[in-house]
Amino acid sequence: MGMGRGLKGLMKKGHGDMADFSIILFLCNWGPHAAFQALQDSATQIPPEIKMVRIPCSGRISKALLFKPFEMGADGVAMVGCETGTCRYATGSSTAQKNVEHTRAILHLLGLGEDRLRLKTFMPEDSEPLLQFLRGFCDEIKAIGKSPVVPSPEAEPPSQALELTKEVVAAHDIYACQDCGKCSSACSLTLVGKPFSPRAIASNIISGNIDSADVEKDIWSCLACGLCYDRCPSAVNFPEFIKDMRYILKKDGSRGYLAHGGFFQSLMRTMTPKDLKVNHWDWLPDDIQVDPQSKTLFFGGCAPYFDIFFKGFLGVQTSDILVDSLKLLNFFDIFPLLLEDERCCGHDLLWSGDKENFLKLARLNVDAIHRLGVEELITACPECYRAYTHDYPQQGVKVNFKVTHIFDLLEGEISKGAVGFKPFDRRLTFQDPCRLSRLENRPELPRRLISRLKPIEFNEMQDRGGGAICCGNSAWTGCDSYSKALQVKRIRQAHSTGSDLLVTACPKCQIHLQCAMEDPFLGEELNMDMMDLTSVLAKTINWE
Amino acid sequence: MNAYEEPKTMTRVKEQPPRQEITITGFGGQGIVLAGRILGKAAVLGDHKQSTLVQSYGPEARGGACSAQVIISEGPIHYPYVRHPDILVSMSQTGFDKFIDQLKEGGTLLIDQDLVQPQSIEGDFFSIPSTRIAEELGRKMMANIIMLGFFTAITGAVSVKAARDSVVSSVPKGTEEMNSKAFNKGYDYAVALLKGREKKAKGRAGA
Ligand code: SF4
Ligand code: SF4
Ligand code: SF4
Repeated sequence: MGMGRGLKGLMKKGHGDMADFSIILFLCNWGPHAAFQALQDSATQIPPEIKMVRIPCSGRISKALLFKPFEMGADGVAMVGCETGTCRYATGSSTAQKNVEHTRAILHLLGLGEDRLRLKTFMPEDSEPLLQFLRGFCDEIKAIGKSPVVPSPEAEPPSQALELTKEVVAAHDIYACQDCGKCSSACSLTLVGKPFSPRAIASNIISGNIDSADVEKDIWSCLACGLCYDRCPSAVNFPEFIKDMRYILKKDGSRGYLAHGGFFQSLMRTMTPKDLKVNHWDWLPDDIQVDPQSKTLFFGGCAPYFDIFFKGFLGVQTSDILVDSLKLLNFFDIFPLLLEDERCCGHDLLWSGDKENFLKLARLNVDAIHRLGVEELITACPECYRAYTHDYPQQGVKVNFKVTHIFDLLEGEISKGAVGFKPFDRRLTFQDPCRLSRLENRPELPRRLISRLKPIEFNEMQDRGGGAICCGNSAWTGCDSYSKALQVKRIRQAHSTGSDLLVTACPKCQIHLQCAMEDPFLGEELNMDMMDLTSVLAKTINWE
Repeated sequence: MNAYEEPKTMTRVKEQPPRQEITITGFGGQGIVLAGRILGKAAVLGDHKQSTLVQSYGPEARGGACSAQVIISEGPIHYPYVRHPDILVSMSQTGFDKFIDQLKEGGTLLIDQDLVQPQSIEGDFFSIPSTRIAEELGRKMMANIIMLGFFTAITGAVSVKAARDSVVSSVPKGTEEMNSKAFNKGYDYAVALLKGREKKAKGRAGA
């Protein structure tokens, strides 16, 4: 992401007369650059708001890069490439089309507005049309207005990282480690062969080795799954320790090993301005009944963003979880309130070392919910649940309403009686969500619901409940070939139960496991249908 | 006392007739007579109506059919025997077989789902697996209290508060909370059942 730094320079340079607006122009090196150069050669006045970034091919600008300028406060982004068919690398133009289309959809949900991002193609001789386009786009952006996004401050100057580390080591009593190795024998990453050992990280950090690249990388690789903490005889809380270490590293300038070019962290940070009018729910099907007066709120989570981002690639449909949750609530005559400008709960920012922006999101969400006089929040996302019940209060954000996981609510309603389930013609197994099954220690909750279903059969995987194997990634950090190995191992376990449907209870489990199923070599062997438990329930629940 | 909240939806506010005759049947040991007594007490002490109770253990007393006849009325009751009940509650097959013909036309029938097979009857009835739920709660003998909760929500013959207070003051010391919970179970089941019927009637049985 050298691009991020370069952009920062560009966006600052504009401080002059018209400098209020910043528009980033990604300009393909081949066709359109010639057109642009002709304009420069003839000293034509190009709107000064336009900051040009010359790129090798429009197809190389990933969604993360397309989005990055918005995180940094840009008011508009123009992607200018070559027409399909004239692309020097054949597929660049069509890739750019998809990336722009998806990023525009995300900008819409986010409330920045899709019109702030445009794709255009020009031939080398098109300098006049290019100029017209740039002027027109500039006017359009000015008509839309300034972006409400205020870029987050630069990383603080290299700080007292060592000092801070000492405090963190003391706070989590890392010295209590007896070097027994139980953690390594439990750690999923170690078990798939990654040269990675929690106790080695601990001892490296204790001896002040935090500058080593290996230690840095390891800190970003940990899945924060807590399996090691479960086994540790000295109760060394490794995930919490890692969380704090990431915070220190981030402050110290570490960019982290972020998956997908840091797209999701960018997205979360871009949600922090107060004035953003997020459109979190405008895609919801009409037959869902909600009630703006209700004191019960349904908090959906980021699934709609995931679905857009992974559209062409994984094709996951995790927003079904939201729709099916709402259908289940409606089934029981619960018509909840929705937060129109719902923002990400911030869980993954906290786990990516960005406490400041996590806190901004937490406060924005909680304040909005308090203003509505909500008495109870219901969520189907184990990470949102964890954030509201645990991380918010722990980080000092007070929550004055009851927080309920939808499984608890459903279990309560169903056990009142008169509700049954239609036969479900599948063989099921279940992927535990770490936040619910291990961190909250409630593996029995989804299982109670599963036991009410009428599938052909339900079989547990070898590792399950609190000891289940992770879906391979957490907080969009540190994804590598070992994550893949872990997923392969997990999916093979699922297959060996003889099941044909892997039931999940977290949108991320579905995304990360699906990712392994896309493997060009193993994909066919691994492929297995997945469905969230809320969807299975919604499909089969019935009044008796 | 249990701080149980009334469900906000679907509580049955039905116009009650000035006089209702109720027969509760089952076999000995199910607490049929106790159920009748709780019901009568609720009507008198809680709802300030008049009530009578006639209990009958047939010759086949131990384990055989037994019944409680309860009359609830706004005015004086001159004759305490029930010949044609408005409401029949059946917790055993023999009880059902013996009393079903007495049920008034258009009367309300409540049964234990697992213990009674209501063959050869026309019309609607309400069933609850009260014994099974009681077993799940760990006490089979609370089936009668669950049935009372169910009865209260379905028929509205006594008010919820009166019924629950009466349960609490009639059961052995130390079991109040458990029985109150059992009552709520039956009550909730009825609310869910009615809600489900309403949804089905609108053609919306699923989610
Ligand atoms: S399990 Fe705990 S005590 Fe043992 S090596 Fe790991 S951190 Fe140290
Ligand atoms: S939290 Fe999980 S991934 Fe991280 S070191 Fe412990 S067991 Fe390994
Ligand atoms: S497993 Fe796939 S979807 Fe998940 S973070 Fe890694 S690359 Fe992304």
